[in-house]
Amino acid sequence: MNAKNESGGNIYRPYMMRVVDIRDEAPGVRTLRLEFLDEAQAAAFRFEAGQFGLYSIFGEGECAFCIASPPTRRGYIECTFREAGRVTRALMRVEIGETIGFRGPYGNVFPVDEWRGRNLLFVAGGIALPPMRCVIWNCLDRREEFGDVTIVYGARTVDDLVYKHELKEWAERPDVNLITTVDPGGETPDWRGKVGFVPTVLDQAGVSPDNAVAVVCGPPIMIKFTIPVLEKAGFAPQNIYTTLENRMKCGLGKCGRCNVGAVYVCKEGPVFRLDELRALPDEY
Amino acid sequence: MQTRGISKKNFDRLPEVLARAGRTVIAPVRNGEVVAFAAVGPDTAICLDEINTRLSLKEFFFPRTEPLLTFRRTENGIEMSDPAPTQGETIVIGARGCDAAALPALDALFNWDFRDEAYNRRRENTTVISIACNDCDACCFCTSVGGSPHNTAGSDIMLSETRDGGYLVEILTQKGEALADELADLLSEAPGEALPYAEVPVKFDAQKVRRALEENFDSPLWAELARTCLSCGCCTYVCPNCHCFDMQDEAGKSGGARIRMWDSCQFPLFTKHTSGHNPRPTQASRWRQRIQHKFNYYPQKFDCVSCVGCGRCIRLCPVGIDISEHLARIENEAPERPADHPNDNY
Repeated sequence: MNAKNESGGNIYRPYMMRVVDIRDEAPGVRTLRLEFLDEAQAAAFRFEAGQFGLYSIFGEGECAFCIASPPTRRGYIECTFREAGRVTRALMRVEIGETIGFRGPYGNVFPVDEWRGRNLLFVAGGIALPPMRCVIWNCLDRREEFGDVTIVYGARTVDDLVYKHELKEWAERPDVNLITTVDPGGETPDWRGKVGFVPTVLDQAGVSPDNAVAVVCGPPIMIKFTIPVLEKAGFAPQNIYTTLENRMKCGLGKCGRCNVGAVYVCKEGPVFRLDELRALPDEY
Repeated sequence: MQTRGISKKNFDRLPEVLARAGRTVIAPVRNGEVVAFAAVGPDTAICLDEINTRLSLKEFFFPRTEPLLTFRRTENGIEMSDPAPTQGETIVIGARGCDAAALPALDALFNWDFRDEAYNRRRENTTVISIACNDCDACCFCTSVGGSPHNTAGSDIMLSETRDGGYLVEILTQKGEALADELADLLSEAPGEALPYAEVPVKFDAQKVRRALEENFDSPLWAELARTCLSCGCCTYVCPNCHCFDMQDEAGKSGGARIRMWDSCQFPLFTKHTSGHNPRPTQASRWRQRIQHKFNYYPQKFDCVSCVGCGRCIRLCPVGIDISEHLARIENEAPERPADHPNDNY
């Protein structure tokens, strides 16, 4: 089960996880903290930043989300989701103490070790901060290994910003440069952040490409307009990373749903460098 | 490889001789106008005179729907179990070489990195006796995708009809040998002369098609080729190679199952994101995906095309789309790569 099953076994069988904490992040957006029911499974479980899993409610089905908590925090995993369909509606109804299923970790990883000594720029939009939160905290938990850390995060409205408590924490940290923004019209009277779309705000921030890597995640339209801003700033495609959110079912490179070009996003992805992405057909 | 012969009379006895508790024998059976694979017994007439069965052999290895796990709701929470194997020892008689040849291609998919246990169990439990073709129809194109009317890939035993009405028996694998040993009394050492195999015209060059596909992701041909496509998905369901599936839970109060079922890249919802964004929003983009996946991506990934040229998608397409004709057009009409190819930029 899970990981590589060289010894056989049912690759579709999930781990059983207990919900130990629930946090509401934004309207319709919730984080679940999960612990393994089985202690041996908990001890053996390993993952790296960027990987995802299939979370399930028995009788409703499975849903793919990135693991939103960092591998540097052991003993639990977290997922953050927006209520949108049958499975996420059921996940919304789960209470602390109940069990859900989890298969994973699947997919490739952010090469965090390769980034040692470099400046990090994280750019996220809306519900795409959760897939990036894992790698952000992973790097912040190993803060001394990296140079400057800049986070640019935007959402439609102030209410839609997720992880508000953590945004506050990042804003207060002297070793993190956090820029938050909301779309025009989404601001509130007491909003202290920027107003504008993420690509514009990023452009105005004047980020430096020197010794830096950029990680971008957001809706396709945001990515489309953010990449040119980064390239204009001088970021080489090899230094720009993203994580694709293709629709997935199996997570195992079998069901065919996430196929783009010769890759299965669930296997060769979800993390891609821009130069790798450009070698693929424009179909994600 | 060993060669034997079997008389028509002895061949007709196979279902009876092979019958054994726990074993299923599957062969083409005529039911009205439709010839389809079905479990056969001593009194069932095996139908080998049809060009091919309506549906392929795929479902005996990768069923249309199957439970991946079952669960019960108990006082202590959810209790999961792996489903019991639904298919014991199975012998297929009379599959066409094209259907058998799809199996090694499916093996690659169901075994890369993660091994799909249920699929592999059925593969291990099944012996395939295929039959070479003496006839073909206008839809057959096995010779364009590396096959032939006498393609032994994926078969354990291959039969070829002989002039005396019996069959030449080619024993191809260890599983085939084991079965031949069991049938030793029915087989002769001196097979008759095989009838000439069908002459299946080559309709396109798969290598050239692959190169054209690599260069023409954005060709205007796609919209033209897909213009009449209804997005019904029939081609994918009847295809022996198509492997895409969906997973859903079906459950009641006391428990249920997580099941998988065939799905189709031709359906608009197949790739639609939760956000509403759809990477393949048009039928042209979906038809392109089917062709690119089979003739370009799959060869890149698994070193074989995901098509055996059985022609079912052509025979059964409600609007008469002929994939072999499309591939020939792609080979011959797809433009050379332009200098400002869109993929160069994004």
